[in-house]
Amino acid sequence: MQPARPLVRPTGFDRMLAPIHRWIWRNSERRAYKLMRFGETETDGGRDILRAAEVTSDPLLRRLYLVHAIDELRHGMMFRQRAASLLPALRPSATPRFQADWLAPGGHGLDDLAVDSESDHSMLAFLHLSEKAAASRFTVYRDVLKDDPPTRAVFEEILHDETFHMNYTLTQLARISPQHHRRHIWRARISRLWKAYLRIASALAGLIGALLMTVQYFVLLPPFAWLAKRAARRERPGWSAVPPDSRDSLTRQY
Amino acid sequence: MRILGISAHYHDSAAALVVDGMPVCAVQEERLSRRKNDAAFPLQAIEWCLNHAGLEPDDLDAVVFYERPMLKFDRILTCALRAFPGSWRTFPHAMKSSLGEKVWVRGTISSHLGLPARKILFTRHHQSHAAAAFLTAPTDRAAILTTDGVGEWATATVGHGERRANGGTRITLLREIRFPHSLGMLYSAFTAYLGFAINEDEYKVMGLAGYGRPTMVDKVRRLVHHTDDGAFALDLDYFEFHSTARRSYSTRFVDLFGPPRPAYEPIDLASADGQRFADCAASVQRVLEDMLVTMARSLHAETGLSDLCLGGGVALNGVANARVLSESGFERVFVPPAPGDAGCALGAALYADRIHFGNPDRDVPDHPFWGPTVDGVELAQLAGEDGQIVDRCDDEGAVIRHTADDLASGRVIGWMDGALELGPRALGHRSILASAATTEMRDRLNRDIKCRDEFRPFAPVVPIEAADRYFELPAGGARLARFMSGVFRVRPEWRAALGAITHVDGTTRLQALDRHMAPRLHALLEEYGRCTGIPVLLNTSFNLSGEPIVNRAVEGYSTFLRCGIDVLVAGQTRVMKKGIIT
Repeated sequence: MQPARPLVRPTGFDRMLAPIHRWIWRNSERRAYKLMRFGETETDGGRDILRAAEVTSDPLLRRLYLVHAIDELRHGMMFRQRAASLLPALRPSATPRFQADWLAPGGHGLDDLAVDSESDHSMLAFLHLSEKAAASRFTVYRDVLKDDPPTRAVFEEILHDETFHMNYTLTQLARISPQHHRRHIWRARISRLWKAYLRIASALAGLIGALLMTVQYFVLLPPFAWLAKRAARRERPGWSAVPPDSRDSLTRQY
Repeated sequence: MRILGISAHYHDSAAALVVDGMPVCAVQEERLSRRKNDAAFPLQAIEWCLNHAGLEPDDLDAVVFYERPMLKFDRILTCALRAFPGSWRTFPHAMKSSLGEKVWVRGTISSHLGLPARKILFTRHHQSHAAAAFLTAPTDRAAILTTDGVGEWATATVGHGERRANGGTRITLLREIRFPHSLGMLYSAFTAYLGFAINEDEYKVMGLAGYGRPTMVDKVRRLVHHTDDGAFALDLDYFEFHSTARRSYSTRFVDLFGPPRPAYEPIDLASADGQRFADCAASVQRVLEDMLVTMARSLHAETGLSDLCLGGGVALNGVANARVLSESGFERVFVPPAPGDAGCALGAALYADRIHFGNPDRDVPDHPFWGPTVDGVELAQLAGEDGQIVDRCDDEGAVIRHTADDLASGRVIGWMDGALELGPRALGHRSILASAATTEMRDRLNRDIKCRDEFRPFAPVVPIEAADRYFELPAGGARLARFMSGVFRVRPEWRAALGAITHVDGTTRLQALDRHMAPRLHALLEEYGRCTGIPVLLNTSFNLSGEPIVNRAVEGYSTFLRCGIDVLVAGQTRVMKKGIIT
């Protein structure tokens, strides 16, 4: 296997966001926690790719996926180690309020994947696009981290691997689906957009739901809370008798 | 009758199938989905169980869920109300989680399996634990003690079970301790305080305890005390788990024990803080043991029975189990291979069969191997495609001899044999095996294979006939060691020769292997004993950090390729590593 070319040009969108990324990464607490989170994302991604290696029937893909998974798991370790070396220098209870995870996602970003039900070509197309997107973002992150050479070096090394991942996924997609590989990539693009829409929609729905629930909490619950607290005061710790069951009690949910 | 048991939604989802009173199969969802501690509704596990038995959902007479979801919701809502207004942050999340899926279990099962609602039954959480412990144990009458974090409201129950001569069965739970007073939650709070993951890493606290001294027992006793009736109660000022999901322990807890350990920092036992954490672990471990011994002793005095069945997640604490055996007055202590929530799937199905439907009792096979079977031919094909060195041999004895030679030469073996275990322990069918002789082997496994903290000990497996020679087993100890449920002392004269499995305090979590339970592993131990003079092997679960135990040959193979295991054995296939060749 030829070594990959470690040169990735960020997309125009990522370049446009460079000032925001610079601001996000400037805060050392946010930087440490983001790296920790990146570590989790890479590890999760590695496990997904490992699963892909276990379910594919193509021996070459299995080996390539395995190498890819090992890389991702190693990246996770590198991010965590770097974060761990930054964290002790921070205030003991430092947790940045705004971590900007949506603005600066990690390796596979916020994509979710049902590996067991993916075909090889859709898996490869998905991986190619997510590796490409990750490489583009990581290039920007590397560039905005000029004042932190060790973190920059982590991104540099990972970028090298991401370029290989980006290339092999495209090559293999062309191998297993020579006529339709471009179509698969377009499908994967549309799928990523659809999933992004679903994520935003469900996050918004979650927010509205939480707001409504919070309003109900303060408006409806106080009298019941008073009753519950009064009942709790009467409760004695220690053993309570278990009521005997009748034979048909297994039909009850309460 | 065909009864499917299900546990789901909190941790350790699983499904189990009982046909005509006998377990046919059982598997945890994580082993199929490959997501550790998968709590999702166990669709894959259910599908596998039905396929394995050749059944359609319509063929089922009942599906039993392992707890009562509305009663659990009652507890969650009541706790939110009691903590008002402090619970305002967690309330929306708790309601979304419960009302979104967890309370609609009857509908979920009905829609997934296409069954009428009348076929869907619910046991209570601790009934399921009690049934999993008693109905799988080879005893006719036993006291029952279940303890865990929390079920619906109960966190601990005591009772007794009886198999009558006419084939009828009875399980009577007499008393319960209710949330928030919970030994499981006490231990979990310390798990979180020590920087480990709740519901996952409690065993690390037990391992860390071996390095500490119980110097903070008095402080821990401020958190939990005995009540007048022989139960216990927590001082809730030291905890927050009952009012918020953000943190288990309170600021007062931190004032008492000092700053918590950040999860990302390694434990340095040579530092003052590292020793404080180890002492903390040793202290909560001691208090937990004392509490359990007191409860068990009182139960023994009350029932006068000689056997005790332990259930619930706390029964995974092997040090406490061994103390219960030696100090409570019970002659035998039975702990099932899956005392936690996964085993509740089997417990719920057996409870429905024996108690609800009144079917006659039948002896349940005394082993943990209820899952999918490994296929050596599949491994040979995979490894052959990848250009690895494959040795397929029809001579059973030759595979055993070669493997014993490998082990004696210091090689690490991935061992896959027959059906997958139910429960968290690898008991001989999905194990990583290695020489138990040296501490270097322990360090190598921790560093190169399991990638875990260096203080973590490893367990040994030994033929039951030879166990007493190397380990100090009390009367009844071999039974507890059947499923690796007890921690016992390595005999002092053997500690140097068993360095890889002897914990710093001279103990080990032993598996005493019965020939009939895992005959191939037993034969391997005997052969290894002939090679080296000591038939004791290090036996650890076949998985890497953060991953579930392997199930199929392909998962064993991918694990083998990613770590320092030298040889992989599945059935009659042996694979020697050449690396990944792309």
